[in-house]
Amino acid sequence: MSAESKTDEGGDYRLQGGPWASAWKLAAGAGVLGLGGWAAGHSSNPQRAAYSYLFAFLVFLTIGLGSLFFVLVQYLTSARWSVTVRRTAEFFMVGLLVFAPLFVPVVLGMEHLYPWTHVSAEHGGGHESAPHEGGHGEHGAPAAATEHGGGHGAGVYSQEDIERAVHHELLQHKAPYLNRNFWFLRALIYFAAWGLLAWSFYRNSTAQDGSRAEGLTVRSARLAPPATFVFGLTLTFAGVDWIMGLDPTWFSTIFGVQLFSGSVVAAMAVLILTTLSLRANGPLTRAVTVEHYHDLGKLLFGFNCFWAYISFSQFFLIWYAGIPEETTYFHARWGDGPWKNVSLLICLGHFALPFVFLMSRNIKRRLSLLSLGAAGMLVMHVVECYWAVLPNFARNVLELTPQDPASLQPHWLDLACLVGVGGVYLAVVFQRMTRHPLVPIGDPRLSRSLRFENF
Amino acid sequence: MSDTHNEPQPERERRPVLLLAEFDSAGSVLHAAEALRDAGYKSFDAHTPFPVHGMDRAMGMSDSRLGWIVAAMATAGFTTAVALITWANHISYPFVVGGKPPLSIPAYAPVTFELTVLFSAFGAVFGMLGLNKLPRHHHPVFFSDRFRSATDDRFFLSVEREDPKFDLTKTRELLEGAKATHVEVIEDEVP
Repeated sequence: MSAESKTDEGGDYRLQGGPWASAWKLAAGAGVLGLGGWAAGHSSNPQRAAYSYLFAFLVFLTIGLGSLFFVLVQYLTSARWSVTVRRTAEFFMVGLLVFAPLFVPVVLGMEHLYPWTHVSAEHGGGHESAPHEGGHGEHGAPAAATEHGGGHGAGVYSQEDIERAVHHELLQHKAPYLNRNFWFLRALIYFAAWGLLAWSFYRNSTAQDGSRAEGLTVRSARLAPPATFVFGLTLTFAGVDWIMGLDPTWFSTIFGVQLFSGSVVAAMAVLILTTLSLRANGPLTRAVTVEHYHDLGKLLFGFNCFWAYISFSQFFLIWYAGIPEETTYFHARWGDGPWKNVSLLICLGHFALPFVFLMSRNIKRRLSLLSLGAAGMLVMHVVECYWAVLPNFARNVLELTPQDPASLQPHWLDLACLVGVGGVYLAVVFQRMTRHPLVPIGDPRLSRSLRFENF
Repeated sequence: MSDTHNEPQPERERRPVLLLAEFDSAGSVLHAAEALRDAGYKSFDAHTPFPVHGMDRAMGMSDSRLGWIVAAMATAGFTTAVALITWANHISYPFVVGGKPPLSIPAYAPVTFELTVLFSAFGAVFGMLGLNKLPRHHHPVFFSDRFRSATDDRFFLSVEREDPKFDLTKTRELLEGAKATHVEVIEDEVP
C-alpha cells in the first residue's frame, strides 16, 4: 500500500546528488581522454587504432542494441513485472544515438579494416576488367584509392596485395554488395533506424512521466512488432558489414543471431549491475526488489544459454563440413597460436562457469552473487568482442597467412578505445539519467510492477 | 460417493481426518495461512481458484527439492550420453566418420545435450508427481460439497489430522479467529 502512494510522487525516483548525478561528467572526461588516445594512435599506428577502435565500438554498440531489444520485448509482451527496471534499459537504449558520430573513426580506418574496400575502389577507377560495376568512379573513390595505394600503403596490404585483391575472384563476385558506397548507405540506414526506434520509445516513455497518458503505452506497443523486424534485420546486416566484412572470404549464415544473442547477454548484465548500483545509492531502493533481480537473472541465464547454443551451432556445422572457405574463421582463432587460449577461455568463462553458477534460484536471488555473475558475463562479453575482431589484425585474410606473431600482444590502444567509446556512450546514458525519474512514473502498469512477486 | 457394491463390506470406522476452512478472499486465506504457520502447523494445504502471491511464504514452505532431483537426472543423462558414444563409437565399433579423429569432443555435444535435457525433463515431470504424491485417486477434501467452489470464487485451507498440533476444537477456533466464513470437519474411513 505504501508503494501505491509512492507512485504519485515521482520525485523520489530522481537522482538527487550523490555519485550518480555527476557520473556523466566523469564518463565524458574519460571519453575525451580515450578518444584523444585513439587520435594519437591513429596518426602513429593507424592499422592497430582501427582494429582497437572497432573492438571498443562493438562492445558498447551491442550493449545499446541489447537494451533496445529488452525494451521492445517489454512492449511486445505487455510486461508488468519489468516496468521499474525498464527506464534504466531505456537510458542505455537512447545512448544508441551517439553511435552515429562514434562511427567516424571506423570510416577513417576502413582502408585498414576491410580488404574489399580496395577492390571496389579500383573497380570504379575504370579498370578494364570491371565492366559490371560502373558508377563508383563519379563519387571520388578513385582519388582516395590512388592516394592510399601509392603513398604510405594501407597497413599489411602492400600494393601487390591490393592488386591481388582486385583480381580476387571472390571479392569481384561480392563487389555488388561489398563496395564503399553501398556500405555507407547501409550504415546510414542502420543508424537512422536505431536512432529513430530508440528515440521513439524513449520519447513515448518519458512524455508519459508528466502526462500519464495511457495512449503512449498503446502507441509504443503498436510500434514494437514492426520495430522488432527492423531491429533484427539491421543488427544482422550491421554484423555482416562491420564484423564479418573484416574477412570477406569467410561467411556464416548464423552470424547475425550470434551477435544478437551476445548483445542481449551483455545488456542484461549491464542492466543488473546498473540498477544494483542505483539501488545502493538511493532512488531505486524500493522500486527494484529481489523479485525483479530474480527475473533479470533468469533472462541473463537464459540468453547466455541461447548464446552458447548459437555459438556452438556456428562452430559445429563449420567443423563438421570442413569446407576451407568456412573454416578460416576458426583456424585463425584456434590453430596453434595464442588465440586458442582465448577461445578456451570463452568456452569456459562465457558458458560453462556461468551456466553452473547462475542456474540456482538461490544465487539469482542473492544480490551479491548475482552481481558477481553479471560482472563476469560483462567481462566475457568484452573478451568475446576482442576475440571476434582482433584475430583479423595484421593478418592478410585474402592469402590466409597466419597472423604476425609480434602483433598478437594487447595494445594500449585497446584500452584507450574502450575508455573512449565507453566514456562517450556512458556520458550520454548517465546524463539522461539526471534528466528523468529513474522509474517510468506515468506507466499504467507501474503499481503492478512495484508489487511484483515470483511464484 | 454412493455405494454401488452389493457384497457386504466390513464396517470401517469413520474418523475426522481434515478440518476444512472456507474464506471469501485471497487476503483472508493468506493471513489465515500465516496464522497456522505461526501457531506451528506443518501439515496443511491451501486450495484457491488462482495462484495467491506470497502463499509459499505464508505457509512457511521451504524451497522445493525438485531442483536436486533434476540435477541428479541431468548428471545421469550427461554420463549416459558420454558413455554411450564412447562405447559405441570408440570401443565396440570404432569407425571414422567424416574424417574426424576418434574421441572428437564437438561430436559429443548434440547427443550429450539431448540426453541431458531428456533425463532432466523426465526428472522434472516424474519428480514433481512424486513429490506431490500423485497420481492419487481420491482425497478427503472432495467429501465436502462446498469444496467445489475452490475452482470458482472461494478459498480453502485444509488442516490434516497428521499434524501434531491438530485438535478439533483448538484448530477450529484458530481458523474461525482468522476470519474463516465456514469450518467443517471431514471424516473418512481410517483402516
